[in-house]
Amino acid sequence: MTGTGRSRRSAGTRGFATNAGKARTAVSASRRRQVGTRGFTSPSPAVTRGGVGAPRAWVVALVALSSLLAGWGAQVASAEPTFLSRQYPRCTACHYSASGGGLLTPYGRSLSREEISTFGRQGAGGGAPGEEGFLFGLLDGESPLQLGLDIRPSRVDVDVPGRAIPDRNFLMNLDLQAAWRHDRWTAYGSIGRHPARGGARPISYEHWVSYRVAESVDVRGGRFLPAYGVRFADHTSFTRERMDLAQDDQVYGVEVGVSTDRTLVQVSVGPGRAESLLDDDGRQALTAAGRWQVDLGPRTVVAASVLYRGESRVMPRSTDTGLSFGYAPAARLTTWTHVDVRSQALGTSRRAYIFANQTSLETFRGLWLRVSPQWRWTDTDPRGEVRRLVYGLDFYPRTHWHVNLSYYRDRLPASDLRTQTFLAQLHLYL
Amino acid sequence: MAASSRRRPAFAGAALVAAVLAAGVPVPARAQAASDVEAWTVASGDVRVRCRMTVGGAFDAVTSSLSGTLRPSAPGGASWSGELRVDLATLDTGIALRNDHLRGNYLEVERGPDFRHAVLSSIVLADSPPDRAGRRETRFSGTLTLHGVRRAIEGEAELRRGDGRMQVEAAFSLSLEAFDVPPPRYLGVGVRDAVEVTVTLEARGGAAPPDGAP
Repeated sequence: MTGTGRSRRSAGTRGFATNAGKARTAVSASRRRQVGTRGFTSPSPAVTRGGVGAPRAWVVALVALSSLLAGWGAQVASAEPTFLSRQYPRCTACHYSASGGGLLTPYGRSLSREEISTFGRQGAGGGAPGEEGFLFGLLDGESPLQLGLDIRPSRVDVDVPGRAIPDRNFLMNLDLQAAWRHDRWTAYGSIGRHPARGGARPISYEHWVSYRVAESVDVRGGRFLPAYGVRFADHTSFTRERMDLAQDDQVYGVEVGVSTDRTLVQVSVGPGRAESLLDDDGRQALTAAGRWQVDLGPRTVVAASVLYRGESRVMPRSTDTGLSFGYAPAARLTTWTHVDVRSQALGTSRRAYIFANQTSLETFRGLWLRVSPQWRWTDTDPRGEVRRLVYGLDFYPRTHWHVNLSYYRDRLPASDLRTQTFLAQLHLYL
Repeated sequence: MAASSRRRPAFAGAALVAAVLAAGVPVPARAQAASDVEAWTVASGDVRVRCRMTVGGAFDAVTSSLSGTLRPSAPGGASWSGELRVDLATLDTGIALRNDHLRGNYLEVERGPDFRHAVLSSIVLADSPPDRAGRRETRFSGTLTLHGVRRAIEGEAELRRGDGRMQVEAAFSLSLEAFDVPPPRYLGVGVRDAVEVTVTLEARGGAAPPDGAP
């Protein structure tokens, strides 16, 4: 879903590359994820596919925990759908990408100054003309070429009973983004660092070209995240991380978008996950997605989504079906609710469910509080159940500056494992 | 254009009026037939302007600064003199930047009274309003002065009468270009030419105000 006028793209530190030992933990978790221990997939069947056999409960708990922790190294490009409260039901008002997230358009940058930041608004006597532009106005705000730099120094504290996990300070992402728009054409790309075993490597999370075929029809091709559900800014949200729609889960494909006054339909199809295609890791499979959004009003949105992934060498075929509802009863309050059902032929369960809600309240200009209960469970395997409660604070003191403080409390009922995570992050979107 | 889906509660006073009539008791002034009411004065109201964005989606600009008095200018109450007046400087879109642009750059409310206010006058209903407690849907036409330009408009209205009050929901669309409003565009995002206006008001019946009063 649609954007708030601020870019919250965070490049990956899947594996906290600033510390080799810490990196191994996350990288191993990431490896497990690659064979299906993350997301909707129940841990045990994935292990079974790997030939290990039925895992013990503590193994399941450990794998699930690793899956949870892995997310902290894998920030993702995200839109912030709380701007629905300002009557912006579509991502494209502020973002180049039709599925949200990434570089802000000049309009989005302007809103980030005028409507998000506490002290940036020129109308309030603050700010400098053009300060919302790239590097505080280095580029002309109306230039067809727009650049952005996204940096997120962060600190994560994880508390897991029985395990000593040191606090971590790291650079969560460093991405340069560029977009060029002229007439009906838009070209978009990003380049950043992607943590990997032994160090970071360059990666382009998104690169695509779109063409406006008609006033309401756009076609784009390249690497992008398929449109599905609501794109919460928090990439570790169950609707993102557990749906395999996280940091590096973009697909190569073609997307057609039809936008009318009240509806937005996006359909994409492609050979599969981009990183899997490049690495030949066995996860590549035909992927098709569809999303249908209906604006019931300027502050009320409902969207139905479906995501199909064909069978790959390491994963069975899966179909996700989701329903999202966004409602902003007041100019400073937005609530989004999303439910998912995944059908997937696995050893211990064939169906998994996700419920996630995020409610955000602007208590003071530029200061948002949010709470997000999330729940994921499977039809037959209780080990697949995870419950989460998130409390967060987002503060935008000045254009380009964003402070994010989030507290996560996770619980795995099957093993009664409880974890707490605190994230402190300075997000600079320059 | 279809009228707004918003509905007001039905009038409890309708039952009272019917009971009074059935009993043969003289009808109080507040329950007079529409043609007997000298004037209807707006007691409260809202105006919502739905603006469709070029990037998809829409936003509403709203105001409660609605005033005016209407008088039936002919028996039956199909034609009305007087006017409805909206203070455009109070239109609110929910964010300050958009408000500034709407009021300053496009509606240009500082240019004078004809820009500051939108005025609907010379209203003609296709069907007369209910002369007693009741509800009626009808088409209407009128003359709208906006951005210093006068143009005929037409739309649909729903009128509910009871307890000496008239509740109205009216909807019509207009072209910004027809009123010489510059195409709203800002950094690649704009508003489409056709906007939809919904007016919801409650008017009280009574004697006509002194000449010159709105």
